[in-house]
Amino acid sequence: MELREFHNKVHPPADYDISPYGSQRSLRLRTVPAEGTSAVHFDWGSTPENAEEPDEPRNLRELPLHMGLKRAVWQVQKMRVPVVSRWGSWRIKQSKTFRHFCEIAKEVLSYLVPWKRGIQKIGGHFGGGVQSYFLFLRFLVILNLLSFLLIAAFVLVPSIVFRSIGFNSSIPLSVNLTSVNVCLQYDPKPDPLAVFYTYFLDLVSGTGFMEYSYLFYGYYHDTMVESKGFSYNIPLAYLLTAAFYFIFCLICMIIRMGNVASAVVATDGGVVGRYSMLVFTGWDHGLQGDLAAKLKKNNLRYQLQVDLEEERLQQKAASLTLGQAFALYALRIFLNLVVLALIGGTFYGIAEVTQFSQSEKTTGFNALLLQYLPSIVITTSNFVVPLLCDKIALLEKHSPSTTVILALLRAVFLRLVSLGVLLYTLWEQITCKGETSSQACTPCGYKYEQYKCWETRVGQEMYKLTLFDFLITIGTLILVEFPRRIIVDHCSCKLAQWVGRQEFLVPPNVLALVYSQTVVWTGALFSPLLPLINTIKFILFFYCKKITLFQNCQPALRTFRSTSSNFFFLLVLLFGWILASVVLIYSVAKIHPSYGCGPFRFSPSMWYVVPEAVDMLTSTSKDFLFYIGSQKFSIPLFIFSCVLLCYMGALTSVHGKSVALLKSQCKLEQRDKQFLVKQIEELNATMQKDEPQLPQRDTERFYQTEQEWNGYNNNAFIPDEDPRAY
Amino acid sequence: MGGKASHLPKESLSEYQELTFLTKQEINEAHKKFCQLQTRENGPMERVSMQIIMTLPELKSNPFRERICHVFSTSDRKDGSLSFEDFLDLLSAFSDSATLEIKSHYAFRIFDFDDDGTLDGEDLRKLVNCLTGETDDARLTSEEMRQLIGNILEESDIDKDGTVNLSEFQHVISRSPDFVSSFKIVL
Repeated sequence: MELREFHNKVHPPADYDISPYGSQRSLRLRTVPAEGTSAVHFDWGSTPENAEEPDEPRNLRELPLHMGLKRAVWQVQKMRVPVVSRWGSWRIKQSKTFRHFCEIAKEVLSYLVPWKRGIQKIGGHFGGGVQSYFLFLRFLVILNLLSFLLIAAFVLVPSIVFRSIGFNSSIPLSVNLTSVNVCLQYDPKPDPLAVFYTYFLDLVSGTGFMEYSYLFYGYYHDTMVESKGFSYNIPLAYLLTAAFYFIFCLICMIIRMGNVASAVVATDGGVVGRYSMLVFTGWDHGLQGDLAAKLKKNNLRYQLQVDLEEERLQQKAASLTLGQAFALYALRIFLNLVVLALIGGTFYGIAEVTQFSQSEKTTGFNALLLQYLPSIVITTSNFVVPLLCDKIALLEKHSPSTTVILALLRAVFLRLVSLGVLLYTLWEQITCKGETSSQACTPCGYKYEQYKCWETRVGQEMYKLTLFDFLITIGTLILVEFPRRIIVDHCSCKLAQWVGRQEFLVPPNVLALVYSQTVVWTGALFSPLLPLINTIKFILFFYCKKITLFQNCQPALRTFRSTSSNFFFLLVLLFGWILASVVLIYSVAKIHPSYGCGPFRFSPSMWYVVPEAVDMLTSTSKDFLFYIGSQKFSIPLFIFSCVLLCYMGALTSVHGKSVALLKSQCKLEQRDKQFLVKQIEELNATMQKDEPQLPQRDTERFYQTEQEWNGYNNNAFIPDEDPRAY
Repeated sequence: MGGKASHLPKESLSEYQELTFLTKQEINEAHKKFCQLQTRENGPMERVSMQIIMTLPELKSNPFRERICHVFSTSDRKDGSLSFEDFLDLLSAFSDSATLEIKSHYAFRIFDFDDDGTLDGEDLRKLVNCLTGETDDARLTSEEMRQLIGNILEESDIDKDGTVNLSEFQHVISRSPDFVSSFKIVL
């Protein structure tokens, strides 16, 4: 390249001693190549930027210089007396104190956050993808723990206190109960002479002694305490706590999504520039150990070779004939239909099994099996169908990244909708397919014969799903993964070597977590202790998965993009939340609460306690609440949000355009450079011919201009500032 | 050494906190580690040689360990030996709280094998070889290498001068979501 030759002629790299990486921002610092000394020369010509004074301590760290130079800069900064007003200096002091406080708070929080070392070690040995799973798990543990504390503070502890004091339910006189006498019968107290193993069955299926306990909705009373200056309304507390629990989870998820989304938006989806991205950012410096490093290298090489191969194939396949394209699309449509048929069949199976298990009545071990039948079917289908979908996806001949995304989407669809099918079947059973006027549902509004306390039944289903999921995971660990490792390590037959050690696949594991969390959210209204059970379950998951990771698994052969997939997992979690909130809203608003149990037993719907409580407020508060809920407030709010959205959209497009403009400006600058250098060469040649004694000076001048141009401070990116001679 | 102060004086500690991204804990930890490395030198030396630095478990298997030592070293002999302040600079650039600009700046310097301020084809070739492995069966074929380097230059060389300069490099890095978390070394 012309430019490089010229550069090498004028400026041989061997004795190149200047630090070419001076800062470009607030402090203009240049070092001169004095031999041995690190003399620092300031550019006094720069304007003292008082406005940025508060940021200078941060900027010190951001200077890419050696410690000695940074210290010198600091000394000079301290000597400079900035001319600021009193208001300015107060602001500076406040921001310094605030920053100091933030740093202390961060340090304290870092003590509270659990498993930091463990997760770091996992990241070091298995890479960012697996680490993201454990980070997600830790996020869910903290979320569940905080939710449980919320529920305990407002529902559990007051209930325990009031029950021990002896307050019980008070039947409001306005309700006429003679017509619904039959609905009031509910006696869950366990038979005291039961055989011992029934305790075990009860523990596992949530019936018997477990049913009439704080675990389920049915145990709580509709206590409304109003003594001297202190009032507490348990039904209202129960409902509002459930609502706040959902909103709290939503806020946590959105905050976390916001952090991840900004990274995803910045990368434009990550498809553009994938080779440079892979080569420049592919190495994980946190990896430790020769084995991990070797595997990472193999991984990178594999990835590069696959991408290059794919590109070569794409270039070949771009020239696909019409007939071949048609055949390919027909194949894809057929395979999609097969997948839909599989998934549809699963849903039908789940619906049938749920109906069957709800209606049969046997005792003993058969009863247990029957009760767990829906969970068994769901878990089996969640295991088998994605496997089949993976194999089918391979036949569809998409690019590897599309295949992964398709498989994930299908698995997510399967999991969440199978849960939805279970809930729908339950709803059908409880409310006689929605017709509350049908014969079985007439006096009470729900099928009282089968469901004396339908909320507890729903809670029990969710409890069973949670427990079964836990048992299956632990069982898989013990019965499948450990034996597999033992066989692979000790048996040298070809089959064992071909199967190989377990690989820790992140997407199925994360989807399992999302599914468990959705189940807990759905069941939280009906079983207040479920978040606590889930916290314990996830903590045990963490330790078990960590053990199996280090003992049984080998690092994955193919990379897994952690950040864009993090966003996808949080999105799926959000879908789960939406499903659970739909269930919540429907149960609260539409279905009649059970007459025989629970804190809402005498209200026409669970929501009814809120208007009752609002009626008891003062008129100013009532007016305020009504105003917020009215159209006079919500329509202007909606319009304002639309305007804000349009503004953000406009800002985004402007930024995109300016990026494109700057890129083309870069190209033009480079062409100008080349043109000017050519001119200089020609000028130099003619001048050397004419005046032989001048070349020395000319070379020096070229040196200076070379310094300016060769992009150490690529002034093309700072269009405001003149390139300064050194 | 046994007699050497095993704790940093308080002013130095606050000064290092001010000038690097490390917390107090991390600086003390680094000091401990550095003193341990110094005991392995043959005499009382202020600088630890590159060979001994490269025995740190965090750096032992890193294919860029030599380049890292050279970039952060302020030694006059250009032998990659690090003083304690160079070591702190290294940890600060690789720490959790370092900004993207600092990390991309130092990443560029590490990848610039010939120290000329730009990444040309030869630098990229050496970089890819470091990433895939040094043994013959681990390298890409020359055809693949050519295709790869052509693709990289096509994607990142905006001004089409055949090299990737610092700004172009930072532009690529800013679009990567995983860079900050992978450019991390924690003791």
